[in-house]
Amino acid sequence: MNRDEFLLEMDEILDLPAGTLRGHEKLEELPNWDSTSLITFIALAENNGVSISPGQIVTCSTVSDLLRLAQAESNAS
Amino acid sequence: MTSEATILQSEVLKALRHPIVVADVLRKRKAMKRELLKQTNLIPTRIAILGGSTTSEVKSMLELFLLAQGIEPTLYESGYNRYSEEVAFENPDLWNFKPNIVLIHTTWHNISEFPELLEAEGEVEQRVHREMARFESLWEKIHTELGALIIQNNFDLPCLRPLGNLEASESFGRVNFVLRLNAELAKYARAHSRFLINDILYLSTQVGHAAWFRNSYWYNFHMAVSPTATVALAHNVAAMVKSVYGKSKKCLVLDLDNTLWGGVVGDDGVQNLMLGKDHAVGEAFLDFQRYVKNLQRRGVLLAVCSKNDAENAKEGFSHPDSILKLEDFSAFKANWNPKPENIRAIAAELNIGLDSIVFVDDNPAERDFVAEQLPEVAVPNLGADVSSFAEALEHERYFEVDKVVQDDLSRAAYYSSNAERSAGQAKFSNYGEFLESLDMTAEIGPFVPVYLERITQLINKTNQFNLTTRRYTTAEVVAIADDPGFLTLYGRLADKFGDNGLVSVLIGQILDDAVQVDLWLMSCRVLKREMEFAMFDALVEQCQARGICKIVGVYIPSKKNSMVAEFYGTLGFSPAGEASHGRQLWRYDVAATCSPKTQYIRRTAESLLVTTSVASESVISEA
Repeated sequence: MNRDEFLLEMDEILDLPAGTLRGHEKLEELPNWDSTSLITFIALAENNGVSISPGQIVTCSTVSDLLRLAQAESNAS
Repeated sequence: MTSEATILQSEVLKALRHPIVVADVLRKRKAMKRELLKQTNLIPTRIAILGGSTTSEVKSMLELFLLAQGIEPTLYESGYNRYSEEVAFENPDLWNFKPNIVLIHTTWHNISEFPELLEAEGEVEQRVHREMARFESLWEKIHTELGALIIQNNFDLPCLRPLGNLEASESFGRVNFVLRLNAELAKYARAHSRFLINDILYLSTQVGHAAWFRNSYWYNFHMAVSPTATVALAHNVAAMVKSVYGKSKKCLVLDLDNTLWGGVVGDDGVQNLMLGKDHAVGEAFLDFQRYVKNLQRRGVLLAVCSKNDAENAKEGFSHPDSILKLEDFSAFKANWNPKPENIRAIAAELNIGLDSIVFVDDNPAERDFVAEQLPEVAVPNLGADVSSFAEALEHERYFEVDKVVQDDLSRAAYYSSNAERSAGQAKFSNYGEFLESLDMTAEIGPFVPVYLERITQLINKTNQFNLTTRRYTTAEVVAIADDPGFLTLYGRLADKFGDNGLVSVLIGQILDDAVQVDLWLMSCRVLKREMEFAMFDALVEQCQARGICKIVGVYIPSKKNSMVAEFYGTLGFSPAGEASHGRQLWRYDVAATCSPKTQYIRRTAESLLVTTSVASESVISEA
C-alpha cells in the first residue's frame, strides 16, 4: 500500500471525506481517533498480513507515523 | 429523501450482504452507520450487552447489522466481565436502562471451573450442574425483574488441547465438558420461551477457529472474539433480533431452469434435465431442492416465477428425481411477463408484502432487474454455481425464526386451500351467501400460554390491518397477559376448507371504566370475512363482563395501514379528536345489551367460556 492509498484508508476509518488527511495531523487532535479506529487499524493491517500491537501505536503521534509503522512491520514480516 | 441518499443506502445494505468483504465493513463502518441512520420507519429497541469480555466491537457491529435490518437499537454495555455482577447486584444503570433484550456475550473464557485431570464422571456432572445453576440464577433474575428477552451465547471451544484428541472423548476433557454444557443450555432454551441461544459454537467453526480467537486481541484488549469474526457474530445476533420483531422473510420465489434443475425444460425436455445423483451438477440441484423443501416444511411459502410456458414449467416437477412437487408451491407464475410484474402478483395473491419475499434466480440480469424494480424484495447474490445457492441463502439468515409453531407448519396448506375459497366465491350471487357457505367458526379468548409465540409473531409482522403498528417482544406480551390492568383477545378462525389459525390480536389497557385499545390487528388472509366483527363482539362482551362502559379506539397512521383509517367509524365509534404524535382517537359507549355485529361466524363453545370468564383466567405464567 502506498502513501496515498494509506491516507485514503485512514480517511475511511476516521469517517472523513476522501482526501482530507495529509499525514501531518496529530492523532490526539483527530476527534474520530478512538478505540474503534485503533482496533480497525490493527485488524486491517492484520488482514494485509502485518502484525501491529497497541503498544507500537502508542509511540505514534501523527498519521504519517502510523504509515511508517505499518511499512516497517510490513517489510519485517 | 433524495435518490442519491437512497442509492448510498442501498450500496451500504449490499455491502452488508453475502458475500461480505469484512475489511470493507471494518473500514467503512462509521460512514455506513451514518447512512443507515437516515432510513425511515426504523423499529426502536433497547439491548443490554452483558459481557464476559470486551464488548465494544460487538456493540459497534451489532448496531450496524441491526440498522441494516431496519431496527434502531439503543445499546447498553456492561463493565468489562461484569455480566454476572451487574445482574446479581442490580446495577441501577442497567435497571434504569430497561432493556427489551439482554445479550449475554460469554465465551469459554467465562466457564468458571473445568474438570480436573482424571476426575470421576460423577464429579464432572456436578460441575456441569454448578455452572448451569450459576447462569440460571442470572437468567431468572433478568426474566423476572427486567422482563427482557435473553440471547445467551453457548460456548465456543477452548483453543488449546493439552490432552489432544482425548479432550473430546474423556469426560474430564475440556471439549467434552463444553459440549455437555452446551447440551444443558439447549435444554434450558427448549423449556423457556424468552430465551434464545446464539450458537457461537457453530459460528466459530464456520469462520474457523484460528480466525475466531486471536491471542493478540485477547491479550491486548481482552476481546474473546476477533474483530473480523465479530462481523459474523453481529450478523447472526441481528438475524435473531430481526426474527423476534417478526421481520424475517416469509416467502421464497424461485426461478426454474438452471435454478431448481439443470437445463431448460422447454428445450431439453424433462428426461434430459440435470437432476439426480448420477451427475455431479444434477446432485447439486437435488441438494438445493432438498434445502428448499426443508424451508417449505418449516413454514416458508414457496412460489415459482419463471419465464416459461406454464405447461412446460409444471412438467419439470414430474421428473422422477424432483424432490419438490407442484403442490409444494403456494403460487405459480410461469409466463413471459417481466418478473417484477409476476412477483407483485405473487405478493398480492398470497396477501404478503414485497418486503417478505426473497427472490432466487440463477440469471444475474433477472436478479438485477428485480432488485432495481422492487427494492423491497431481497435478492441474494447466488453466484453462478448451484452448489453455492443454499449457502448464499443460508448466510443471509432470511428465514430465521425464534420458534417453529404449529401455524407455521400448516401455512402452505392454508394457502393452497385459499385458491379453493376464491374459486368458490364466484359461484354465489351475493357475498353474504358466500360467507354463509364457508361455515366459519371462531375461537376468541384472552391470551393463553400456548398461543403467546404466535401472538408475538403476528404483532411484529402485521402491517396493513394494524390500527397502531405497535410492536412487542415475547417478554412484553407475557407481561401484558399476566397483568390484570390489560384486556387481551386472540382470535382463531376455521372454515369448511380448513383452519386459518390464529389471525387476530387485540390488547386493551383498562383505565377506570374505560378500555383503550392499544393494539388491534388481523392477518390479511382473512380480510372481508367478518372476523374483525367477531373480535369486536368479543371485546364488547369482555367490557360488559368487567363493567367497562367506554372503549377508546386508537389509530396511528403508517405507510401501510391506510386500509383501517376508517375502521372504528364502520364499527360505530365516534371521532374523539387527535392526540400527540398524530394519533387519532375514537370513542364507543358500551351498552348493557347489544346485538352482535357478525352474522356469519359462529363462536365455539370453548371460546365463549374463556371469553366470559374474566381476570382469573387471564393470569398466565410462562410455559
